Amino acid sequence: MLKKYLKRMASLSVATALIAAALTTHQTAEAASAYEGKKVIFIPIAMGITLTEGWSRGMEEQANLNGFGYEVRDAAFNMKTMSEIFSKAINDKPDIIVAHNPTVQLLARQIRQAESQGIKVLQINLQSNQKSTAFVGANWTRIGHDIAEDIVTACGKDSGKSGKVAIIPGQLTAADSVLMNEAAMAVFAEHPEIEVVSNQASNWEPEKARQITATVLQQNPDLCAVFGHWGIHTIGAGNAVKDAGKADSVLVYATGGGNRVICDNIEAGVIDRYWSYNADGQGRDAGTMLRLMMQGAKPAEGEMLEVESPLIVIKKESYKPQQCWDLPAKS
Amino acid sequence: MDIGLSESSNSLHQHGGPLPQNRRGRGFSAAFQQWQKRLSFKQHPLEYIILGITLALVLAFTTLIEGFLTVGNLLILAQNSTALAILGCGMAAVIINRGLDLSQISVMVAVSAVFGLMLSNGADYMMAMGAAFILALILGALNGWLVAYIEIPALMSTLATAMLIAGFCRWGILQGEFLVLIPKDLPQVIYISTGKISIFPVSVVIGIVVLIATFILLNLTVLGRMFYAMGDNYIAARLSGLSVRTATIWLYIFSAITAFIAGIIVSSSSGTVDFRIVTNGTMLFEVIMVVVLGGIPLRGGRGGVFNLIIGVVLISVLQNGMTLLNLSGQIQDLVKGLILISAIVIDNYINPKDTETNTQGDL
Repeated sequence: MLKKYLKRMASLSVATALIAAALTTHQTAEAASAYEGKKVIFIPIAMGITLTEGWSRGMEEQANLNGFGYEVRDAAFNMKTMSEIFSKAINDKPDIIVAHNPTVQLLARQIRQAESQGIKVLQINLQSNQKSTAFVGANWTRIGHDIAEDIVTACGKDSGKSGKVAIIPGQLTAADSVLMNEAAMAVFAEHPEIEVVSNQASNWEPEKARQITATVLQQNPDLCAVFGHWGIHTIGAGNAVKDAGKADSVLVYATGGGNRVICDNIEAGVIDRYWSYNADGQGRDAGTMLRLMMQGAKPAEGEMLEVESPLIVIKKESYKPQQCWDLPAKS
Repeated sequence: MDIGLSESSNSLHQHGGPLPQNRRGRGFSAAFQQWQKRLSFKQHPLEYIILGITLALVLAFTTLIEGFLTVGNLLILAQNSTALAILGCGMAAVIINRGLDLSQISVMVAVSAVFGLMLSNGADYMMAMGAAFILALILGALNGWLVAYIEIPALMSTLATAMLIAGFCRWGILQGEFLVLIPKDLPQVIYISTGKISIFPVSVVIGIVVLIATFILLNLTVLGRMFYAMGDNYIAARLSGLSVRTATIWLYIFSAITAFIAGIIVSSSSGTVDFRIVTNGTMLFEVIMVVVLGGIPLRGGRGGVFNLIIGVVLISVLQNGMTLLNLSGQIQDLVKGLILISAIVIDNYINPKDTETNTQGDL
């Protein structure tokens, strides 16, 4: 009896395993066919930045694993070229274009054109005014709000500080600057003791950020905090603070992809507090999103499929080297 | 010899350049008359207009901004404009020669990238400086050779080399990266970025030395006189037997050297060498602007270091005041653009083209 039962169980297990294997194979085959012959074009503002290199690595890894085509078309910081590259990419009819928007307007019309022609657009980290199928990146409103709250705690009421803050956006029309500025100003509006003494874009350049900070510091020696919208240009601002001998009294805030360069600068006392959205993780998320899009994932009407990047807050006082990531050397 | 030099020198004399060789030694009265001409409004209306605008801006900013006219702020203003003034020295010499160096910022970034990479790889400071300096000499000589021997107009040749150098810098030197970090803990780097001589920042002192050297080059050397002569009437200078080709090569080498010095100062101060200054930045626009605003016409043959200083002071005061007034970058660019256009229009109105100035190669 027991033998019969065991035999039946064994047959059932084998059958279940076979069905599961068949189903899995079917699903894998289905998924594989979803990727077969598909093509993705990534158009970054520029390669050579750890951000874009990290993203590209994550997406290329998925392309190699799943057998879809992947190509990078580098705009090399040239906005006019970027627009032309995007038009050319639309003409080439890929399945997905991954767009890294330098401003909220530049590619808006072309994103709409691509989507209307059935080319899905994944916007990465910097959004356009124009919605598309998907977005992977940081929640700028949240970062702006959180940093502003931190500044209020450090410089506001009962802190014994002046409450003076200098904001250094990258470019006033870039999505991160627009959203972080809005969010931060909304917080500061509720705290009249906080005074924004300067809010001038550095055009992402460290030297320009240094000049602005040096001038503002001279005029406001009791400045409490500098809020740089991107870690790289904030290095210039942080060096101005350090060179003025104010590293102990002025807090330097920044945001970014959290590469090793930033940790080196936190260790050197150039940047004090840093909100990292971990570009390496964003690359993995972007790769996953590409697969989902190819499998047919669709957003609700008028919405985008969205993956918000988790944040790592790195502070000088509690800094650990492993909070930053390293881009592997190219082979 | 007499045809070319006397014609060009006569024009220089009229427009405020130093006395030509054949007019030296006429005694005190001649020198006095010369200085009278140099300072006369009739001879130099644009300079006086720019000086007037600068004074008006200083007055306005002093009224509007508390602490604008303080030693501390003026030193910051000087420090922030040092690189511009140094680059302006090279550009001024080139424009006086009726040339244009559109590759100056590319050269600056390329040489400072070499400097920064060598430093971050542990090279000796002087060795890194030496390598960057040699690269500057090579790039300057390349520009000069293209203009002098291949006879490509300066505008086109330096535009081409600007692209070539930018591409070489990005892919050859930076290996696709766009940023080099300068080790800010090196004593030499700290000295350049924060050191002081008396109350003056070291970078400002370097800037003053470069301005004096440029003054000497342009006014007290044969090479400098040749730059004026070539800018005033290139054909006459060549027919008079001047070695115009050699002079052209030295001219662009001088421009590259100023780019090298500015690059060392900028990278030491900001702690970075940022490739995007070439592609994104408005630095080249600002360098040409301070030269032209100060009263060095693009048609060449006129002007000097004093003109450059006027232009730099105007732009620096404007930049500093607008920063302290918290005006956005777009508004700042708009104001600077308006001032440049106004200066060019006023210049054209005051110095209309005539048979002397309306010659070949005019921009």
